Parts: sequence; C-alpha cells; structure tokens
Amino acid sequence: MSKDSQMRAAINQKLIEMGERERLKELLRAKLVECGWKDQLKAHCKDVIREKGLEHVTVEDLVTEVTPKGRALVPDSVKKELLTRIRAFLAQHATL
Amino acid sequence: MKMEDMPLSGPDNTKLEALVHDIYSELVEDACLGLCFEVHRAVKQGYFFLDETDQESMKEFEIVDQPGVDIFGQVYNQWKNKECECPNCKRLIAASRFAPHLEKCLGMGRNSSRIANRRLASNNNNSKSESDQEDNDDLNDNDWSYGAEKKAKKRKSDKNQNSPRRSKSLKHKNGDLGKSIISEPYKYNYNTGISYESLGPDEVRSLLTTQCGVISEHTKKMCTRSQRCPQHTDEQRRAVRVFLLGPSAPSLPDADPVVESDSFDIPEGQTLMNHPQWEDSPDISPTDSASSKASTNHSDSRKLKKKKRMTLNLNSGVGAAAAAVVGGGGGIGGVGCLASGSSTSGGSSQSSISLPSKKKRPKLSAASISSTYHDLN
Repeated sequence: MSKDSQMRAAINQKLIEMGERERLKELLRAKLVECGWKDQLKAHCKDVIREKGLEHVTVEDLVTEVTPKGRALVPDSVKKELLTRIRAFLAQHATL
Repeated sequence: MKMEDMPLSGPDNTKLEALVHDIYSELVEDACLGLCFEVHRAVKQGYFFLDETDQESMKEFEIVDQPGVDIFGQVYNQWKNKECECPNCKRLIAASRFAPHLEKCLGMGRNSSRIANRRLASNNNNSKSESDQEDNDDLNDNDWSYGAEKKAKKRKSDKNQNSPRRSKSLKHKNGDLGKSIISEPYKYNYNTGISYESLGPDEVRSLLTTQCGVISEHTKKMCTRSQRCPQHTDEQRRAVRVFLLGPSAPSLPDADPVVESDSFDIPEGQTLMNHPQWEDSPDISPTDSASSKASTNHSDSRKLKKKKRMTLNLNSGVGAAAAAVVGGGGGIGGVGCLASGSSTSGGSSQSSISLPSKKKRPKLSAASISSTYHDLN
C-alpha cells in the first residue's frame, strides 16, 4: 500500500511541477461557469444565507452546505472531459 | 469509460482509475471552495445582495418574452412602415428613406452637389451629340455653348490623339473652363497608354516629341508621361525612338523645362505674332471659328496647340467673337510654331523665340482685335 501512496504522491507532485494541475483547475472553472453551475450554486448559497441570517454565516457553514450539492451539480460532459485529460496525463507520465 | 483503452495491466487499472477519480474530486472540491470563499467575502463586505432590490423594482425590469417585442419590451420596427410628408416636394416618403431623400430634394449635403455637377457636365456633352436640342437653359449662354462646341470638336480629335498634354494644359486653366476640368478627366482616364502599332509614323513622331514614349513590357503601350518622367531613363527613350522611327530619328527634345510647362501656351501665342501670317493664310479665314477646324485638319499635332491657344485666349478675358478671331490667328501661329519646331528640332529654339517677345503679346493681340472688330462691323 505504501507503494500505492508513494505512487500517488509522485504523480501528484508531477502534476503540480508540470503545471498541469493549474491548467486542469482553470479548465474546470471555465467550464463550470460556462454551463451555469456557478450561478446555480450561488443561488443555493443565497438560500442558505437567508436561512442562517446574514450576520452569522461562516465559511464552514457554507462549505458543508455547498460542497455536496456542488459535486452533484457538475454536468456529465464536464466530468467526462476532465477525467479523459487526467487519464491522458497519467498515461504519458506515470512510471509503473 | 473503457478499461481496454488503458495500456496497463489489470490490477493497476483499477488503482489508476481510482487515482484518476480522486484527482478529479480534488479539483471539483477546489472549485467549490473557491466559490464559498467568494460568497463569504461578498456577504461580509456587504455586496452579496446588491443586485436585488425590492420586489416592485424587480418586476419593472423583468425580461420580456413576448412575440413582436424585444426583451426590453420595445417594438422593433415601429417606424418602418410609417411614411412622412416631405416639406419640399409634398410627397410621402418611407421613414428610412426620408433623410437621403431630403438631401437630394433640398440640394444640400455632400452627394447632391457632386451629382448635380456630373449631371451638368454630361448634359453639356449630350447637348452637342444631340445637336439642336435646347433642353438645357444653361447652355443658352454664349460662353458656355462656345465651350461645349469646342469640347465636342476636341472630343472627336481626342480619339486620334491620345496625348496627356491636353489634360495637362487643362489643369492650368482656371475659372472659365471649370466644366472642362470635370469632363476632361473622363478622357484622361481612358488614355493610360498608347499602342504604338496603331499609330502612323507621323503620329508616332509627334507623340515622341512630346511624351516619354517608352514602351512598357507588360502592356506593350507607350508611356504617356512627360519627357522627363521619372520612371524611364533617357536611354530608354532614345532606344524607343530608334526602334520606332529608325536610326535617323530626331534627337530627343530635351533641356528647358519651360518647354513643357504651361508657359508653352505663351510661346505658341507669341510666335503667331512673330511669324508672318503668309504661311497658311489662304486656307484660314480669321473671322470664322471654323478656321480652327481647318487648321486642325492639316496635322494632328496642331490640334494640341490649337486647344491650348483657345483656352489661353479665353483666360485673357476676350469675348467669344474676339476669341474666335484670335483663335483663328492662333491656328496660324501654331502652324508657324510647328514649322520652326520640326526644322530646328528643338523646343529650345521655340523658347528662345518666345521668351523675349512675351511682353509684346498683349499689345499685339489688342491691335489685331481692334482691327478685326472693324472688319466685322
């Protein structure tokens, strides 16, 4: 298992070093804005805030409310594209 | 997602897939976190709910989704079918065509003057070709009709003589022949080049004395620019003359720029006084403007000089009849001028004759005018 985690660590490191992680992040953000995911989630945030009261909202509140919904709301096309890209990167650079 | 795409072996695949998914989840969580931070900051800074006001105002600016209306609720082609009455001509014009129509109708605006000028010019040309039509009252004025007459004659001669000199000298005239400047450019545009094959030896010789004449390789046409045109060298000009006229061709009339500028007009007019009128007087009757026609029939190159003389006379402010007289005399002078030109083979000789006698010209012309007035009366 440690090999596994080692491998993971190595791959993650490679992702960051080559700048691929940043690129993937930007790509995902752009796609989510395009497909309206961000606006949907923002509307959800508004509800949460109105619920909790404007003054007492904390980051943790928001995170716990928003993240699961956010994960669920990502459209399939975006998910597929990102997975493909990650796989391609691993195929190129993974040393096993 | 097909596992067969992976080049790696079985057990590693699942791990790899798991890894891929993990990486993906991390990325998504990062995005969500980013959003949360953004929202939280907006809440705490107080600008989160800024785009929402009270319900009433919200209703006002709601997006409209009806047919025939844009999202703001405005009708698109509201003014398209409306007609307006023109205050000038009292016609009903469509709204979108109203502004251009007003421009033309009132005679203001940039295009209307241009079109009016063009129409006048073409009407002048047409009135000569359609002989005795007096449609255009503008042409009843003696001066104008005389100008139109000359232009008609010139047009016929233009077909034989593709010389830029014509339009060149026109450019120097101002005032009276404003129209000629408009109609003449039409002709100038046609004469971008001459094919030497279509000209006789005389024409070629006369052309070569006035123009550069170098034959372009692309178009096989002679250059119609002046003797000193910067595109071609003297060597080229000499070569063309040898080629076209044989080895015994007259040398290039070069040197004095005076020869080619508009002062050419003055030498022409003066030489008429210098050279006795014995040369062609039997052929030309001075009182007849047709005398100019007679003189032009003699040689092509004379037409050049004749036109310039005509215009020069007009500029000196003499009346139409007197202009005809002096023009007739000018035809004679042109002949004499050319005779001297061909025999001495030099514009320099012409200019040498002309320069000293420049001052004599006006008095001489006045004398001749007064004498011919007596004749007329």
